[in-house]
Amino acid sequence: MDDDQSAEETAFVVDEVSSIVKESLEAVIGRNTYEHKRVNQWTSGVVEQCLGQLSKLGKPFKYIVTCIIMQKNGAGLQSASSCFWDNTTDGSCTVRWENKHLYCIVSVFGLAI
Amino acid sequence: MANQPLPLSQETLAQFNRSMATEPGVSGPPRRRLGSISTRRSSKDQSKDQPHHRPLFLRGMTVISSESSFLSPNVSHSHISMGKRFSFAGWHQGGRVSFSGLYLQQPIQEVYVENTYRMGPEPGCHFSPSRTQQILQATLDSYLDGVCYSPDSCSQLCQMLADLVLSKLKDVNPPRYKLVCQVVVGQSGKQGIRVASRSLMNPNTDNYTSAVFQNHSLFAVALVHDQ
Repeated sequence: MDDDQSAEETAFVVDEVSSIVKESLEAVIGRNTYEHKRVNQWTSGVVEQCLGQLSKLGKPFKYIVTCIIMQKNGAGLQSASSCFWDNTTDGSCTVRWENKHLYCIVSVFGLAI
Repeated sequence: MANQPLPLSQETLAQFNRSMATEPGVSGPPRRRLGSISTRRSSKDQSKDQPHHRPLFLRGMTVISSESSFLSPNVSHSHISMGKRFSFAGWHQGGRVSFSGLYLQQPIQEVYVENTYRMGPEPGCHFSPSRTQQILQATLDSYLDGVCYSPDSCSQLCQMLADLVLSKLKDVNPPRYKLVCQVVVGQSGKQGIRVASRSLMNPNTDNYTSAVFQNHSLFAVALVHDQ
């Protein structure tokens, strides 16, 4: 039982991370339209808030958070990632979010220490 | 134990008693005796009794085999195997080595080495952002030059690029470093886009690089984090 608990505490839980990301997106961007001047601020805000919440989880992980915000103009976008890590301990989570005016893709990679 | 005709059993018993006399204090079945024989005594036996015992045993054996009694096999086996035991008992010339039990090899001692905990990369073995950036830019330029964006093929192209960059960087990667590589490919339209990343890491050992490529129909951004 102790082993199970400790394994859960030190594992990368995708659901937990995705809920943190969605909350940050709602809080920072919300229903705003795409504004070129404010995008810089938004990306920094989303990323910083995500990192802050993730570090509060207190798990022995190094985190990488990437945020892509794109205006809805009919253009296509593809994103792919490949990782060279330890499959048993490390994990990633990608959240696709959108509102009426923009798309947002946030990827979180967790690397165990 | 012996239900044999009297003349034969007497002879075998006599032989038995003679051998028993040379090993005082031993009683019980012959098999048990095998386990508690000392080489010192055996050397004496060999030197003194060999000329006597062997011919006697042989004689005994020939006589016994014709009659095939119950007791004789035990006796003959015991004496023969005693002789065998002595031959590889590890007896040194002029020394007194005694042991009891079977001859066993010394168990191979395992060498225990202390743990060496490495807390960081070796000096000079760090991730090099400039070299990685050159590799990244060269890969993007070579693979995306003249390529047109199409929704069907670009998803595979994106994944392929990510795997390719990873395989190229694995060769130049210092040992025990983990790599995270992300590639974003998008259509060049009249839209605005921003790609940002931040990481929680050890600034002494970890770093990241990025490269951008753009042509008339598509753009690509590659991000590599090394930890």
